[in-house]
Amino acid sequence: MSITEILFWVLSTAAIVAALLVIFSKNPVHSVLWLIVVFFAISGHYVLLNAQFLAIVNMIVYAGAIMVLFLFVIMLMNMNADQEPTKSKWMKIAGVISGGSLTLLLIAALKYNTATTGGEEAGIGLIQQLGKTLFNEYVVPFEISSVLFLSAMVGAVVLGKKEKNIVNSDIANQ
Amino acid sequence: MNAIIFSAVWGVLMMYTGFFVKSRNTINLIAIAGIVLLIICNVHEFISGMSLFSIDTKGMLFHSNFGLVFLLIILISTLMYFLLSGNDINAAGKSSSDLYALIFFILSGIGVVAGFKSLLMLFLGIEIVSIPLYVLAGSDKSNLKSNEAALKYFLMGSFSTGLMLMGITLIYGDTGSFYLDAIKAGLSVLTPMKAAGLLLVLASMAFKVSAAPFHFWTPDVYDGAPTVFTSFMATIVKSVAFYAFLHLFDNAFGNLHEDWKNLVAVIALLTLLIGNITAVFQQSVKRMLAYSSIAQAGFMMLAILSLNVFAKQGLLLYFAGYSIATLGIFAVLVKMKDHSVDAFNGLSKTNPIIALSVLVSLLSLAGIPLTAGFFAKYYMLLAVIREGHLMWLVVTAVLCAAVSIYYYFRVIQAMYFKEPTNILTLEFSSTFKWMMIINAILIIILGIHPDIILSLI
Repeated sequence: MSITEILFWVLSTAAIVAALLVIFSKNPVHSVLWLIVVFFAISGHYVLLNAQFLAIVNMIVYAGAIMVLFLFVIMLMNMNADQEPTKSKWMKIAGVISGGSLTLLLIAALKYNTATTGGEEAGIGLIQQLGKTLFNEYVVPFEISSVLFLSAMVGAVVLGKKEKNIVNSDIANQ
Repeated sequence: MNAIIFSAVWGVLMMYTGFFVKSRNTINLIAIAGIVLLIICNVHEFISGMSLFSIDTKGMLFHSNFGLVFLLIILISTLMYFLLSGNDINAAGKSSSDLYALIFFILSGIGVVAGFKSLLMLFLGIEIVSIPLYVLAGSDKSNLKSNEAALKYFLMGSFSTGLMLMGITLIYGDTGSFYLDAIKAGLSVLTPMKAAGLLLVLASMAFKVSAAPFHFWTPDVYDGAPTVFTSFMATIVKSVAFYAFLHLFDNAFGNLHEDWKNLVAVIALLTLLIGNITAVFQQSVKRMLAYSSIAQAGFMMLAILSLNVFAKQGLLLYFAGYSIATLGIFAVLVKMKDHSVDAFNGLSKTNPIIALSVLVSLLSLAGIPLTAGFFAKYYMLLAVIREGHLMWLVVTAVLCAAVSIYYYFRVIQAMYFKEPTNILTLEFSSTFKWMMIINAILIIILGIHPDIILSLI
């Protein structure tokens, strides 16, 4: 077994175990912490796939920024077990059936997968290669996504702007 | 291509008008001028067959005639929307220029959706349409229901986008390309991986068009959002989602039509039944229109189901007829404080012109001959009949159309056969009355001469 294979198995096991712990932890803060472990394991996979830039970005943006935000929100919300809304039995059964069907389909997809692996170029995941692809082949989507970000920014300003005379009409009516 | 660039630029321009222009009417006029400019550019692109800009999109964007006609219908509907509800957009927020900017960004996204040739573009287009919409749904910040609608729409919408991305990933993994043509060539036999991708994309598209069983967000969001923006969401944005649905399933998954046909048939059946039957029990007209939009989505699903030439032509006609009729009703509903059916009591006596235009809109939604809605529904049914062996669906659709007459006519009955109960009589400006008349005339013209649209394609 080569070192890559050993790394692959270690990372995969870590990712799957941590992902399961995300779901089964009772405490939401623990869930978030395990999710960070999942992201680190996946970043490790990116490195194995020769995508170093993606690995670093994944770590900085997801494990770093977004998860810290998550933690803060969860801590501020101060969730308790008794506040959790109870789901009806039928809801749970329906969830199990539809989730189970999707899992079955995905397992089948993995088993009968015919996709061929592409030739691995050495520098494919480096920033230089990424920049060239982004500004040659994908330059139009790149530019169009600027409209998306601009609209998201304007939206944030619209929602965040202070308005005078905020009256909570629903509460006022009660 | 013209529409994408000009609407993005005009969106930025609208943002700056907030600084320099104080009068709200002027902002309104600038927005209307923008739409007129977009229509002119779009017609120019349609006639000359060339965009004003030559941009190498690497085959990711291509506006066919079908896409340009679709864009034209959307732009004309938006023009009608601005003309009918412009003053209400101004009233919706402190800074209406920002709201207009968001609407222009949405139009830019619609331009991308109208010509996507790559799944990447589809994703970008749908996101550019969705994200400003989440904000518009929550723009009435002082209202708890509006906040709830925005949050609900945002969470559910992001989740469905996540599903779509997952589906796109699986399809990419199987075919090795984002391009629709390559995907179509690669999808000839259904393997589990393709099935998984297809299913996830189907679920997320069904969510975007609010087809059952993915419709649960629709009544709450449409009811909670400010009525002006509900009107925009229920008409223009819904048409865009349906266009993307049709374009994707025709041009990328067309070879597997036999495989997903039955699934779409079940979705269409459920949507028709749930939309129409639930609409019957609604007391609020706004909520009734939300369910009616689900019911109309059921009819539009028939086009996705059959994918023949009648379906494609008919769908464009459906967009035009449905959008214009719904915009007309919403424009009147916005002016009312109370959204129950009783608010319409005796409208024919206090405002006969408005009542008449609302009547034409409602008849069109119900699918009565001489209105646009009749031919739209006719083409949908014809498309399914041509496909054969789905007669049960056609019969259900006709029965559902009959059910829909009940809830549309309840409003008509309130307007014409009940005494006015509103102590405050509604005041409508004469411009608004003229716009409502034009709206009604458009519906009738499309109902008599549907070939105005059909001959363009």
